[in-house]
Amino acid sequence: MRDYIRKRITTGILTILFSFCLTFFLIRYAPGNPIKVLAGTENPNPELIEHLTAKYGLDKSIPIQFGNYIKNILKGDLGYSYMSNEPVSKLIGEKLFATILLTLTGVILSVIVGTFLGVYAARKAGSIFDRLMCSACYVFDAIPGFWLGLILILIFASKFGILPTSGMYDLRAEHQGFARVLDVVKHMILPVSTLFIIQMPMYFRIARSSVLQTMSEDFILTLRAAGMKENKIFNKYVLRNAIIPTITKLSLSLAFIISGVALIEIVFAWPGMGRLIMDAIMKRDYPLLTGVYLMISVSICVVMIITDIIYALIDPRIRLE
Amino acid sequence: MSLLNINYLNIVYKVKGKKIKAVKDLSLNIESEDSVGIVGESGSGKSTFAMSILSLLPKEITEITGDIIFDGTDLLKIDEERLRQIKWKEIAYVFQKSMNSLSPVHKIGLQMNDIYKIHEANATDKDTKERILELFNLVNLSKGVYNLYPHELSGGMIQRVSIALSLLHYPRLLILDEATTALDVVTQGQILEEIMELEEKLKLTRIMITHDVSVVSLTCKKVAVMYAGYLLESGYVEDVFSLPKHPYTRELLNSYPSLTGERNRLKGIPGSFPDLSVVHRGCIFADRCKDSMDICFVREPKTVEISNDWKVACHLVGGEYNG
Repeated sequence: MRDYIRKRITTGILTILFSFCLTFFLIRYAPGNPIKVLAGTENPNPELIEHLTAKYGLDKSIPIQFGNYIKNILKGDLGYSYMSNEPVSKLIGEKLFATILLTLTGVILSVIVGTFLGVYAARKAGSIFDRLMCSACYVFDAIPGFWLGLILILIFASKFGILPTSGMYDLRAEHQGFARVLDVVKHMILPVSTLFIIQMPMYFRIARSSVLQTMSEDFILTLRAAGMKENKIFNKYVLRNAIIPTITKLSLSLAFIISGVALIEIVFAWPGMGRLIMDAIMKRDYPLLTGVYLMISVSICVVMIITDIIYALIDPRIRLE
Repeated sequence: MSLLNINYLNIVYKVKGKKIKAVKDLSLNIESEDSVGIVGESGSGKSTFAMSILSLLPKEITEITGDIIFDGTDLLKIDEERLRQIKWKEIAYVFQKSMNSLSPVHKIGLQMNDIYKIHEANATDKDTKERILELFNLVNLSKGVYNLYPHELSGGMIQRVSIALSLLHYPRLLILDEATTALDVVTQGQILEEIMELEEKLKLTRIMITHDVSVVSLTCKKVAVMYAGYLLESGYVEDVFSLPKHPYTRELLNSYPSLTGERNRLKGIPGSFPDLSVVHRGCIFADRCKDSMDICFVREPKTVEISNDWKVACHLVGGEYNG
């Protein structure tokens, strides 16, 4: 088991290094130039361009830029954004919490409710509840998230006016303490509901089909023939066998926790990473982009390592390699 | 003494509006400490019959009529709780595909422990483990298997685990459903021998379901030949296999090579398996039978007892005069 974990961590670190190098070079070789964006006007002064290029070190060859970046990053310095002149770490730090708060709440709710409903539907397979849930899930699955977000805003914010349309705080109220928490919760309801409605069906269907499949395994017949009570068979043997696909899906969702909900964030004007990433890409803000990419690959690898370990704990067949 | 007495057992699968008759008017008497081999092609209803004994068929799609009387109790009429008391304690199975007969994510010891405690709720972990290790010893498994997962064992070992599992409560009736079919001949031989030794020791009664005639002739006292849900011939192995009365039994024996005796060309049985979802007239085997007569297509043959438990359902053997 210790070997297994060590192997996973090594693979994780290598993956981060590789994806970091790839994104670093790709974005810099891609067409588009941040200096042109900075200089602003259609026909900028060549001297200004030359000055800015030299100032940000873009006159040097890309491998040398890479070397400099590595040197800085080893000191813990992610550099400064070209556009706002603020430290990249500060920019990311500000947005990261908002995004994680939103996505994690959505994912956790979807996993718990979706899995619970899926398991229940599988136990009552063929019942009205099961059939209703299955068809409802197909409908929800087919809905694009950003559209659903807009419709929810239209209904609950515009028409009934019971929930805020966008943002994370009521900017005019300046709540403190518990009132502030409540305010955030109120702002979270619509975006989290959107995430929940589009993610939950996946967990529902995975749990349902996985339970049904496990129920038809031969070992269930053995336990039944041995006279074990259905509840015990289910709680002890079926669930543990059936939960593995859910963990796979969960890890995929968690891997995209930082970058995956940009569209929804934009619909709800949520002050998260989504907007930051979009802006950084549009304006070729190299230091910010590289920082964001690094952040994303680290988070993906961490989640993957954790899920791999959970896998191994649940399913002994995975431990052997 | 009769341990298991089956009278006019009929099993119908209701699938997609069709009614598939998997077992038809099956009557069979199994004495205590008998070993009965049930042979037949795939789809002949052997496994369906075996599963029906402990009501393991999916209830929604099956219809079972008749009696399955085990030691004086009709297993089809008693309630679930009483049946649960009989399950594994009195009647145990070794299933086909034992590779999958245990949960892949739980240790073997833990699963056997759980199954043991179904009927021995008060047993301590220590006693249970001792019992399991004793059984492992009986089936030639090492103690280490207790802490292993099923995927860590070979096919032969997992088969032995399945047998040990089935013996947990020293049941009176053991049903082996194609238990050794997936094994190589050497391992199969070893395991069959072990089973016969255990049988002596534990005074087991055994039903052995297989499509391998040689397994039956080597390990069983009696044999029952099934075809398309019908029991065509049954009796002592030495009677039935040396002078088979039913044409199907003859064909079945001809399709296996014999170890001793002359080398004959192996023959398959011409024709194909009947559709069990349509109503059939006459003898079920008539279409493929070389010796079929007019009456075979019109009237179902009655089962007649030739001698000493040797029963045949064929118009050639006198059944035709009783219709």
